[in-house]
Amino acid sequence: MGSENSSDILNQIGNTPLVKLDSLSIDNATYFAKLEGHNPFGSVKDRAAYWMIKDGEEKGKLTRGKSIIIEPTSGNTGIGLAGIANVLGYKVEIVIPEKASDETKNIIRSLGAKVFETSDDLCPKVGAGTDQSIALATSIASSRPDTYYSPNQYANEANFMGHYMGTGPEIWKQTDGKITHFFTGVGTGGTITGIGTFLKEKNPNVKIIGCQPQQNHLIQGWRNFEESSKPDLFLKRESVVDDWVSVNNDEAFSVVKEVLVKDKLLISPSSAAVYACMKKYKIDGNRCVVGIFADDGRKFKSIYAAQNIMNEQEFNDGLREAKHMSKLAYSL
Amino acid sequence: MSETNDKKLDTTGLFCPEPVFRTKIEIERMQVGQVLTVSADDPAAEDDITRWVTRNGHVLLDVKKDGNTITFQIKKVK
Repeated sequence: MGSENSSDILNQIGNTPLVKLDSLSIDNATYFAKLEGHNPFGSVKDRAAYWMIKDGEEKGKLTRGKSIIIEPTSGNTGIGLAGIANVLGYKVEIVIPEKASDETKNIIRSLGAKVFETSDDLCPKVGAGTDQSIALATSIASSRPDTYYSPNQYANEANFMGHYMGTGPEIWKQTDGKITHFFTGVGTGGTITGIGTFLKEKNPNVKIIGCQPQQNHLIQGWRNFEESSKPDLFLKRESVVDDWVSVNNDEAFSVVKEVLVKDKLLISPSSAAVYACMKKYKIDGNRCVVGIFADDGRKFKSIYAAQNIMNEQEFNDGLREAKHMSKLAYSL
Repeated sequence: MSETNDKKLDTTGLFCPEPVFRTKIEIERMQVGQVLTVSADDPAAEDDITRWVTRNGHVLLDVKKDGNTITFQIKKVK
């Protein structure tokens, strides 16, 4: 971790920039990306992690020097929780599918957390991937309730509140209340329901559009609701979503280079998937469109090389030329 | 006959899938030929551990039940 003190780092959560996408904007239509990679640990999940830890403290579920935070996650929530808990003095154990990227696991370990990797053959009846991690984290926490606290981002109201109280008002202010359409992917449902609920309260005509990946997708953190169940947090306010748009792996990965060339942004696969949805969704008339870019592309060098999106040299060149890259609270 | 370097793992009081997860971690740390004795009292452990051992090519030498406690003897063979 850098030389900044803990309160400096935590004060940097939220208030992320809203950047105009010249590649999509025309005379009567302005498109913006909310660059959540500018949170100190590099993603939108810093918000949920911070709000869930503070909520646990306020409710007396967390005690510094005693409690261990345990959470199942496939990536960014683990990084956010590990980083923030490290700053606040909590031990963290992250349960992660073994097929998650090595970059992600290494970042979590570098932030001081213990990493448990789960495989799909552990307990086949609970499902695959993150479902194995959820089962293990739940079992560890439930047999030692005095020591372990699992925030459970899939059901924790503080995850919703972080967006309802933070990201939603930021977008409203940054667009001077002119936003007409909002796009984001869905993992826990905290982002879409938190921001969507706030925006609808300010203007019921704002359209909330959820992005759905294909089955067996490569978009880290997202859920396809035909192959995975809807989380409790999403189900509570599912009606806030006005429409859905589908996006497949090829559509998402194919715009990564386009956005780098036209907008000078090095974006992640999930941000590319949101961009692809914003691009293909037909909207008539004057409009002000905002999409959540959950993190930037820095963690995805190996994935982009494996998917033949760009080789290492092209990636490094892109990183040098990219605008709006943030300063992270850890080294990659 | 028991080898002196055989291992024991007590997972009583733990809920599935933690017993099978701890079994997996312990087996990974052992040498081929060593035997691990695991005790568990979550009824789901019987299926989970038996299935995991078979699927991963190790040998389940014995399973005993004494009241609520199930004891497995697993030989690491690869």
